[in-house]
Amino acid sequence: MSEAPESYEAAVERLEQIIDRLDSGQAGLRETLELCREGRELVTYCSTELDAVSEGLKELKLDDLAAKLEQS
Amino acid sequence: MEELPGPFPVGRYARKLQEELRRRARVRLVGEVTGVSRSKVQAYFELRDAEGAVPCAIWLDDLEKAGLPEGGLRDGAEVVIGGGPDYYPGGGQASPSFAFRATQVRLAGEGDLLARLQVLRKQLRAEGLFELQKQLARPRLPKTIGVVTAESGAARRDLLAGLQRRGWAGTVVWAFALVQDRRAAPAIGAAIQELAATPAVEAIVVARGGGSLADLWAFCDETLCRTVAMLRVPVISAVGHERDSTLIDDVAAVACSTPTHAAEAVVPLDCLAARDALTRSAAALRRAGEGAVGTRSRHLVALARGPARALRRERIALNQKTREIRASSERGLAERRAFQRRLALVVLSRAARRAAGADADSKREALRRAQVAFRAHEPERTLERGYALAEDSGGEPVTSAAAALAARHVKLRFADGGVGAEIDQDGGEG
Repeated sequence: MSEAPESYEAAVERLEQIIDRLDSGQAGLRETLELCREGRELVTYCSTELDAVSEGLKELKLDDLAAKLEQS
Repeated sequence: MEELPGPFPVGRYARKLQEELRRRARVRLVGEVTGVSRSKVQAYFELRDAEGAVPCAIWLDDLEKAGLPEGGLRDGAEVVIGGGPDYYPGGGQASPSFAFRATQVRLAGEGDLLARLQVLRKQLRAEGLFELQKQLARPRLPKTIGVVTAESGAARRDLLAGLQRRGWAGTVVWAFALVQDRRAAPAIGAAIQELAATPAVEAIVVARGGGSLADLWAFCDETLCRTVAMLRVPVISAVGHERDSTLIDDVAAVACSTPTHAAEAVVPLDCLAARDALTRSAAALRRAGEGAVGTRSRHLVALARGPARALRRERIALNQKTREIRASSERGLAERRAFQRRLALVVLSRAARRAAGADADSKREALRRAQVAFRAHEPERTLERGYALAEDSGGEPVTSAAAALAARHVKLRFADGGVGAEIDQDGGEG
């Protein structure tokens, strides 16, 4: 990825812009391919972010977390 | 120092101080009871709020008359007391002490708490503390959230259910704390601060079920609310129900009426819907990419085939024209020939008529008459009159008796058909 998005919301916002531009039909071939490449990278990023909060709820107690952080 | 009046005997001064204080106006005070203790005749406690405290004392008789419920005067209770300042000068053995002498006491009502809340609210708003949290950016998809709540409350369960409905399954760091009584506010404040200090925690939820304003009073604690306002991590409050309004709701980034709403506020993104949307985006990108290349490729191919196609098209058109011209010329030729034939016939016919001249009609009449005469002499006419014609086997007429004898067999032809006949040597005479 050329540059990691600032956040999930920033990635989605950029993705929406890209799709709007592509849908407009005004992008030339070179721009279209470049936008598609950037869009695919953003989709991958967003998918990874969603995966990170989809693999099963983890519950920690603050005290346990504090103890773990102190050990590390 | 010498310029000051006195020196006076301290005991006399102490009594004078007592008189002075007792002359002060009697008032009502409201605050939280802490440090309750009792002697045989009095109960002692401090009445405090975030700004300060006053030591208080009440005769047990007066306390009994107040009719508080059992254990009403206890640590953490919000009470209203009536009375005035008093000073005990002490004695030879007893230590002097200052106290607000309460002669009346009752539990603080909703109205008292609301009045205090109003003052606090006005003060914190004036300081701009309501806006600080609201200016913080809240992540739409936090991976780790902190939650301050009671360990055994419905709020915990409801919050988890709300998160699950959004398809969120990240990490929850629980900071369990008391959520009611005078120890609650410091405990909640400490938990929030610890969560905020944990780098992974991106947002914090403070949740508690509903209750009376007195039950929720810890969440109106000035110190706690100032702490929340100053945090750099967004705090979502879900304290009480919709009708309950606590001070922490005012200073928090978002105030929710239920833990379920808090789940939506702390994870604004519906993960299930987001995944669907992402799938659609990916499909749109694929279509756009393939479409852009495909359309242009087809166009290029079409352009590349253009000359050959144009030649073929021209050739076909040319052939067609050739066929049309040929067909047209053959048709014209045939028509011309037919016309010439018709013309020749007309010319010949006219020439023949001219050559035949004027007696042609009379000749035709003579011919017709000859035909009638000729028909009258035809053998068939004779046969119709009852005669028969004898013919030999070759079909030649037998015209004599000798010829008939020689033929032996003849055929007799009548008008209505022929029959065979044997020739008798004797003839038929005699």
